[in-house]
Amino acid sequence: MTHPLAGHLEVDESAKTVRHYRYAVERMTRILGGWMALTPELSAKLLMGRHVWDNAQHADAWGKRLPELRAAAQISEPANARLVAFLDAVETAERPEQTIERVVAIYRVLKPHLLATYKAHLASANAVYEPPTCRILARCIEDERRHVAAGETILRHLLRAPELEARARACEARLWPLLEAAGGVTGAGPVTRVSAAAAPPAPLSDDAAEFIRLEQSTGTWPIAPALAQALGAFGDALVAGDTTAARRWLAPEVQLDSDLEARVRGAQGGRHAIVACARVGEQRLVKLRLEGAHDGVTLLLRWVPTGSDWRVAVLDAVSASAARPA
Amino acid sequence: MERPIAYDKLAREDRLIRMRAREVAQLKVDQGLPPFPDLLSRDSIKERVHGIMVGELQAMEGAGRTVYDFPDAPWEFTMDMARQVWDESRHVEIYVRLLEHLEGYIGEFPETTILWRCACAEDAAARVAGVNRGLEGLACDVFNQLVHIARKMGDPILERAVDYVLADEITHVRMGSKWLTRLTEGDPERRRLAIEFQETIDERFNLGGVRREGPHELVPISIATEARREGGFTDEEIARLIKTTQRSAVY
Repeated sequence: MTHPLAGHLEVDESAKTVRHYRYAVERMTRILGGWMALTPELSAKLLMGRHVWDNAQHADAWGKRLPELRAAAQISEPANARLVAFLDAVETAERPEQTIERVVAIYRVLKPHLLATYKAHLASANAVYEPPTCRILARCIEDERRHVAAGETILRHLLRAPELEARARACEARLWPLLEAAGGVTGAGPVTRVSAAAAPPAPLSDDAAEFIRLEQSTGTWPIAPALAQALGAFGDALVAGDTTAARRWLAPEVQLDSDLEARVRGAQGGRHAIVACARVGEQRLVKLRLEGAHDGVTLLLRWVPTGSDWRVAVLDAVSASAARPA
Repeated sequence: MERPIAYDKLAREDRLIRMRAREVAQLKVDQGLPPFPDLLSRDSIKERVHGIMVGELQAMEGAGRTVYDFPDAPWEFTMDMARQVWDESRHVEIYVRLLEHLEGYIGEFPETTILWRCACAEDAAARVAGVNRGLEGLACDVFNQLVHIARKMGDPILERAVDYVLADEITHVRMGSKWLTRLTEGDPERRRLAIEFQETIDERFNLGGVRREGPHELVPISIATEARREGGFTDEEIARLIKTTQRSAVY
């Protein structure tokens, strides 16, 4: 039987491990903070927004533990250069259309690994003289389990098609070997991860399913029948390539410039759909997505009521970065 | 990741339409409407709530960028900003739910990005002065008035939820007051520039006389003197703000 005072780590080693945890968690906190503005989907944005503070508190708790282990407070130290490279690779997913890569990197690779590492540490920590570390581990485990479960919920929502699933798998396959090569966040390996299958139900304020509901809360737009008819006819004319019919809906001062006309031509033979409709007084701002077989374009139209009819007073293309999330 | 990011990199779902604030205001004025939604009808309150909701979204994103953009700032600063991210993320949820309560939807009105532009200041001291004192100060004004109007309308859902958000915003103003002082200690030029930045924001959000001192029912945005004091604004600063609102002529 193991002696109750038998230990697993020297004090100095324990401080070093804490600095390694703090490095990984601090970087994760900052990365999540930076990513929110670059992530279009509300569900993923709120997921990250909820977890930045939990992670900052973890880093803070680890940082405060250090002086109790004869080390300087609030210092982060990477386990090795390969761990730095792993986190650098995580951080590269910054384009708006890379939400899947962002969520996978944190919620299927880093957090499940942290969770496994914390659990292993807690299982081997000395229960007599390491309770201060054990308390922090227990809190981090509880939070990370909840985070991983929430991340999985968001991923199930984001991974709507086989090609998106493939992207998620490719991202995992690219990052996991980097983490393995580093020997995990402590550099000591072996590198394992834990799923969140046993996570308790989240409270409403932390429920990822609710973030998805908020993302899906705009279903259809209340559009006046005359405007709906005008929008339908205008969209039909554009995808049919009938610019004469389309021009009927434009106010006299509005022109389709040659560049935009070429982009609209690219969507010929396809379909159109309203993707946004906002009110400014009596006028309506409408985003109309034209989706062709090979190309697509999203138009921003300002519709103005003219008696019983509607006309487009301003027409522009929406930049690609804002138009195609996920 | 780029550090800091250009303001036009802000990512949005398709359902939101982004537009310059002055363009939206001009379109309204051209239609004979006030440039900024008043609080006289449920519909205009809904528009105000929508504007606040996108403001909270941008405040969350801005605080998140501050966590990322300034790794060399004091750790306690990062902690305060991380806490603000969490608060703002809950505020987004609260305001989306309030929008639903008012039978509105995300994207019903255009999104303006003045707040986000302010959150892109390159200096941490300017950012907290501009965002936490300038913009969160404005939030205190707007929320304080909204609580009052909701109480008068007999809408306890709106009243209670906004009052909790107001309490958080006062905390954020306090953080801004604290960090403006700490980050510029021994550097009066940096402090001067940060305060100057905040004052340009205050001036902008006076909205051509829309914000001013006065009763909640009569003034489109009334200055929340007490809430501002709780957030660390001095009487002199409040008096100066009131004075600037008397000479703001443009939105």
